[in-house]
This record gives sequence, C-alpha cells and structure tokens, in this order.
Amino acid sequence: MIEFRQVTKVFGRGDTVVRAVAGLSFVCPRGAFWTIMGPSGAGKSTILHLIAGLTTPTEGSVLVEGVDVAGMTAAELAALRRRRIGYVHQAFNLLPFLTAAENVGLPLVLDGVRQAEVDARVREALAMVSMSHRATHRPTHLSGGEQQRIAIARALVMRPAIVLADEPTGNLDRAGGRAIMDLIHDANERLGVTVLLVTHDPVFAAYATRVLRLVDGALQQNMALPDDEGDSRVRLVRGRP
Amino acid sequence: MRHGSGIRYALLGVVSRNPEGVHGYALKRQCERTLGSFWQLNFGEIYRVLDRLAGEGLIEQVVVEPESSRKLYRITADGRRSLDDFILAPPTDAPRPLRQELAVKLLFAAPERLPELLRLVDHQRESYMQELFRLGVQRRRLARAAVDAFVTNLLIDGAELAVRAELAWLDEVARKLQERFPPTP
Repeated sequence: MIEFRQVTKVFGRGDTVVRAVAGLSFVCPRGAFWTIMGPSGAGKSTILHLIAGLTTPTEGSVLVEGVDVAGMTAAELAALRRRRIGYVHQAFNLLPFLTAAENVGLPLVLDGVRQAEVDARVREALAMVSMSHRATHRPTHLSGGEQQRIAIARALVMRPAIVLADEPTGNLDRAGGRAIMDLIHDANERLGVTVLLVTHDPVFAAYATRVLRLVDGALQQNMALPDDEGDSRVRLVRGRP
Repeated sequence: MRHGSGIRYALLGVVSRNPEGVHGYALKRQCERTLGSFWQLNFGEIYRVLDRLAGEGLIEQVVVEPESSRKLYRITADGRRSLDDFILAPPTDAPRPLRQELAVKLLFAAPERLPELLRLVDHQRESYMQELFRLGVQRRRLARAAVDAFVTNLLIDGAELAVRAELAWLDEVARKLQERFPPTP
C-alpha cells in the first residue's frame, strides 16, 4: 500500500519556487495498477521519486506499506529501493559494460545473494520477459524494446511489492510500447505487484484500473476504469481514494 | 456503422464462410464471435436482415435432411458477387461528428459556468478512458484466444486512434476555455 497524506513538494526558493506536488492525498492499495497522467511539469515523476525516497516531501507524509519514508535511515531507504521497489525508466538505464544477464542480476549481487541463486533467479526473470536468448548480449547490441525488457526483468528480479514505471514506453514505437505494457500488466496480474505508471499515452494509461490526472501538482481528475469481469483486483481498488 | 449496409454485408460475409450452409443457431454464435465486438447484436434484427437477403436472392434456405425441418442458410452466386462488389467498393463511413452535445453546451453557457463546463469535459474524458480500457481488455483477450484476429486488431487500432483524437481535442477545449475565461481574482 502507498499512501500520500497532504503531500507538498516545493523545489527552489523565492522567485524561482516551483510547487511540483501541491497537497496531494491518496491511498493506493496493494496489488493495484494506477497510472498518472498530466502535462509536462505536472509533478508526475516527482510522485514516483517521493515513493522511492529519492526526494522528501516539503510538507505531509508518504507511507510505503505503512512506514513513513521520511523517517527512514539512509540504509533503510537503500534497502527499500533495492528489495521492495522496482524502478523502470524511460531511458532504460542499463549499465553498458555488463551483459543483459549481469544487469538483471545486479540488484541481487548488491544484496549479497549467493551466485547460484543469482543465476537461477536471473534465468527465471529473463524467461519472464522472453529474453533468455539475449542473456549474454550487451545493451548496445539490443534494440530499445529489448533493453526495456531487460530493465523490467531487473525491476522484477528482487520480487518487489511495487513497480514504479516512469514513461517506460517513451522511447519505443507503438508495437514495442504495447509489448512492454503487456509485460507490466502481466506482472501486476500474475505476481500481484502494485504498479504506478507515469505515461502521456492514453491508450497505455488505460491498462490500469485507475487513472489520476495531475495539473500543477494537484489531482485534477480521478478516473476509475470499468470492472473487468472476474477481476477481483479491480474491485479492491474501487471506491478509493 | 451500426445500421445500414454494414450489418447486411457482415451477415452475408458470415454466411459465406459456411459454403455447405449454416443453421440459425450456429450462425448466431458465429455472428457473436466475429461481429459482437462491433455491433450490439439484436437477434430479431439479424433475422429480419437474413429474410431480406433471402428475398433478394443473395442467400437461400435449404433443407439438407429430408426427415428434418431444419433449414440451412447458404450464400448464392448472386450473393457472392454482391459481397465481392461491396468489399471492393470504397467505404462510405463518414468521419465521426464532433461532440455535438458538448458543442451546444459551450455555445450557450455563460463564462461564469466555466467550472461546470470543465467538469463536463472531465466527464467526457473519463468515458473515453473507459472505452480505451475496454478496447485494451478486448485486445488482450483476442491475443490469448486461438483465432486469427488480424482484422479485429486493425479495427481496434482504428477505434483507439479515434478515441485518442477525441481525448486530444478535449484537452484543447479545456485549455482554450481556461485561456478565454481566466478566473477573476
């Protein structure tokens, strides 16, 4: 569960002050799939940064699974980001000098997992994104869509509770974007991962069960998308926040 | 294309896929599978269209088992020619009209009603997002089904593009309304 309580985030001071997030409150239940839309500069990415503890709120509090992110020590924050949250970026952010498999395994290695288990879990994650055949390739030898698949495998390899995806389809063509969205949808549906996705694309936003529209850091519209029959996950989200 | 020539040729097409003929119940199921995503099928209407096609000699009703009264619908040579002509003729679909109801409201609403107008825009946006959600569910369901959904996917692509255009227009409407009627301090 992710909870925002009257969160405001201000960057700069004096005349150059920018309110990226302005008094935002919501409760995103475990297993939900939400998208955040809105014009550039509306504060969409800042919301993801606040959840991952990459920045702290100026006012209000951000709770991830009941714990206030602002109260965490640096070590606790690092552990939160490594174990509980998978991050997917628009620019993939793979390390160019590592192979695809090494990129996927990196969070496990940093977490001190022994090599045999790293290998097994990397294999499983690569299979999940249909990239087993590219395990030994370096990112520069992969297409954009393939690089993003690797980035998703890296985000899922720690079996996180939450995936934060910031314009994951922004650098891809429509077919590539749809393939990535299908993977994220699968992770939500099959693994029960909570997904918060920032996107400009309404077609991709509609993979979610709820769409938040932000304007100038404030919630302008909160749209519930229709119930898919037999999908209990959707009912869970209904009626909130 | 809910009424008119579309449904007529859609039914003729479904009948044509059964060269040996097809009885009413199987035809109904095939119609649901092939056309159900695009038409709200009313079976009374379907049978009226079938009667009309039979009356024009484009399909015929044949009895295959002499001891049974069950009749099969089968396409005729005239029916095949008519279907071919239809497929090759340029489509007559007109571009979708602008949101007329919203346009009328905009024409006659006073500037101080801006918040209400923006809520109308939001409401319309939400219904379009719900439409995109349904299209996405349909696309994923088709991907899992073991049928060739090439044309259906093309139609979903088209529907998505149309909704996307409407959403972009609503964003424009909201932005320009706010520019034209800035809030008075």
